[in-house]
Amino acid sequence: MLRSGGLTPAPMKRRLASSLAALLSAAAALSACQGTEDQGPVNLSKGVPVGAVLALTGNANVYGQDQKIGIELSLAALNGAGGVNGKPLSLSIEDGGSAEPSANAAVSLQINRGILALIGPTLSQQSFSAGPIAQRRGVPLVAPSNTATGIPEIGYFISRVSAQSSVIAPLSIAKALQLNPGIRRAAVFYAQDDAYSTAETVIFQQALTAKGLKPVTVQRTQLNDQDFQSQITAALNQKPDLVVLSLQAMDGGNLIRQLRELGYRGAIVVGNGMNTPNIYPICQKYCDGILIAQAYSPELQTPANQRFTAAFAAAQARNPKVSPIPPQLTAQAYTAMQVIGEALARLDRRQPLKGLPLAQARKALMAEILGGTYQTPLGEIRFTPEGEVIQKNFFVAQVRMNAGGKSGRFSLLP
Amino acid sequence: MDAGLLEQMLLGALLGLSVYLPLRCGQLSLATPGFFAIGGTVAALLSTRVPALAGSGSTYPITSVLLEMALAALLTGVLALGLGRVVLRLRGIYLAIATIALVEILRVVTLNLEFTGGALGIFGIPQPFNSAAGYAAFTLALLALICWLCDRLEKTRPGRAMAAIRDDELAAASQGINTADTKLLAFVLSALVAGITGVVAAHFLNSWNAKLGNFDASITTLAFVVFGGSRTWLGPVFGGLLLTALPELLRPVGDLRLIVFGAVILVGPLFFPQGVITPELFKWFKPRIGGITTAAAQGVKQ
Repeated sequence: MLRSGGLTPAPMKRRLASSLAALLSAAAALSACQGTEDQGPVNLSKGVPVGAVLALTGNANVYGQDQKIGIELSLAALNGAGGVNGKPLSLSIEDGGSAEPSANAAVSLQINRGILALIGPTLSQQSFSAGPIAQRRGVPLVAPSNTATGIPEIGYFISRVSAQSSVIAPLSIAKALQLNPGIRRAAVFYAQDDAYSTAETVIFQQALTAKGLKPVTVQRTQLNDQDFQSQITAALNQKPDLVVLSLQAMDGGNLIRQLRELGYRGAIVVGNGMNTPNIYPICQKYCDGILIAQAYSPELQTPANQRFTAAFAAAQARNPKVSPIPPQLTAQAYTAMQVIGEALARLDRRQPLKGLPLAQARKALMAEILGGTYQTPLGEIRFTPEGEVIQKNFFVAQVRMNAGGKSGRFSLLP
Repeated sequence: MDAGLLEQMLLGALLGLSVYLPLRCGQLSLATPGFFAIGGTVAALLSTRVPALAGSGSTYPITSVLLEMALAALLTGVLALGLGRVVLRLRGIYLAIATIALVEILRVVTLNLEFTGGALGIFGIPQPFNSAAGYAAFTLALLALICWLCDRLEKTRPGRAMAAIRDDELAAASQGINTADTKLLAFVLSALVAGITGVVAAHFLNSWNAKLGNFDASITTLAFVVFGGSRTWLGPVFGGLLLTALPELLRPVGDLRLIVFGAVILVGPLFFPQGVITPELFKWFKPRIGGITTAAAQGVKQ
């Protein structure tokens, strides 16, 4: 018969105890990494420390790569102009992956390194998870691409330079109606398993309803879908003359191609997820004519934007395959770095960073970030006391594909 | 020492134990992330929607967390009990597929329900601890408790019955072991561990969404056990701790870190097909460590 527990021999107890002890020491050793004391002075030995956490791997990696270029260009521009009153900025970029645990780990790592401010994370969902860490530790966090409602509301130290979709999305609907006042029947598509998509479609649907165009059909897709025949057929049965998409570049591009192939001729409005030149190779000639509202236009004629577009084109010249025209994500990341750089310079003039305790420097920097006005590639921006961006210019662009359908551009509409 | 990473490692170890329990009786269940998601959703909903749980202090009361754990355990336990009766009639890869289906169903339900926040999820989950160190201490105590229970299980009748089923189900049944009930017990225990782990994870991550309990998580948690070993509870704990920490520890490698991480997962089972931690390892270590301690004891006497 099997012996049931109760009388445990001493060696077994010792084995359990020693196993647990070994386990805990192994865990402690594995996670051992040096944290810095927040009360000590700012470490300026390698320059003024700033960090970024971007989605360089996982399904959001294309966004992170675009942002990395923008941050690095901005860093070069700031340091070229003397850095923080003569001291160069030193930037460390960490991969936050495309999930919450990896973003949290990267944010904690950067804060432990003693950085003064943080750019990122790429996705709104990651900010909802990692933002509270920065808030608790009192580190200014400037989100370059979060568009969900509620990001600056995480706390005082959280701000963003990316206007939320509720501000931008309705503009493209208004423009579509202005171009074609006869539009009566709108069809809406969104990916139900994608956070961006589900959040933006609500705003699109509200904007449509406000214009008296209650959607005749709302079709749901999945982020990784390739074939949209059934949803498109169901939508086309409702005879729409406007199609509104809240989808990412890959699935959205495919859906547009199939929509046109199945005979749809009406207007198409897309959301922020397709605000990238990466859609051209996917929907090719069928991309032509789609409308999009943007927080950035490469065609904006301001000195700040001309400097940025020139720097971008020069950096991309080495690789003739990629477009020399910067996407919105790159411009916003550039802006986030610029905001931090300029705020640091102002702070340093007011209270020299040398010798200032780290925690106090971070707090003062946050006040400085919120207090400033910035001439950026996005146009002039400021912040509300909560940290929400106040942006002067928004744009509606129409995609114009070149003959052959391999390349195109977002052409700014007046 | 970064307590946040330690906390993630401890959560990994707990999830490893949850996959390990059914494997102890030879059942390949990938349902762990499903039950983990239930626990996380329960915690996220209760802590953000029920004001009575919030207490009066600046931090969220631990008693409320314990209450969430109890509720999550109840919910996952009852679900596992009902579901296990049906799906445990399947074996091997068929059971794995059925449990993947459970994970997918829960994910799609979460995405479609209004009150679980759809794809965006639930955020602003209140914090019972002011720092990651508090979480780590709490989770360490939880892990120690569950390790102790697993250790007891390995030495008691149900545990030995599980091992017998793993080695040969037919022989075990002919020895008078109720194989259906024993397998069900392992499945329910696995669900309970995953459910209460989800509660801690939801608070620690500040937010909860359907992506956290998807099929990818099934494979990751399975890797903990395959890498660490499924013969003793120490295996999945070791696998969970190491494989959660490794992508972070490899950061100095830069862009190559995930490639190195993948190579480690690949090389582990190649060189240690039974997992890194096996009972043989203990047999090898025991006389040596025993010898050292005896010698040390003699040294002290002298």
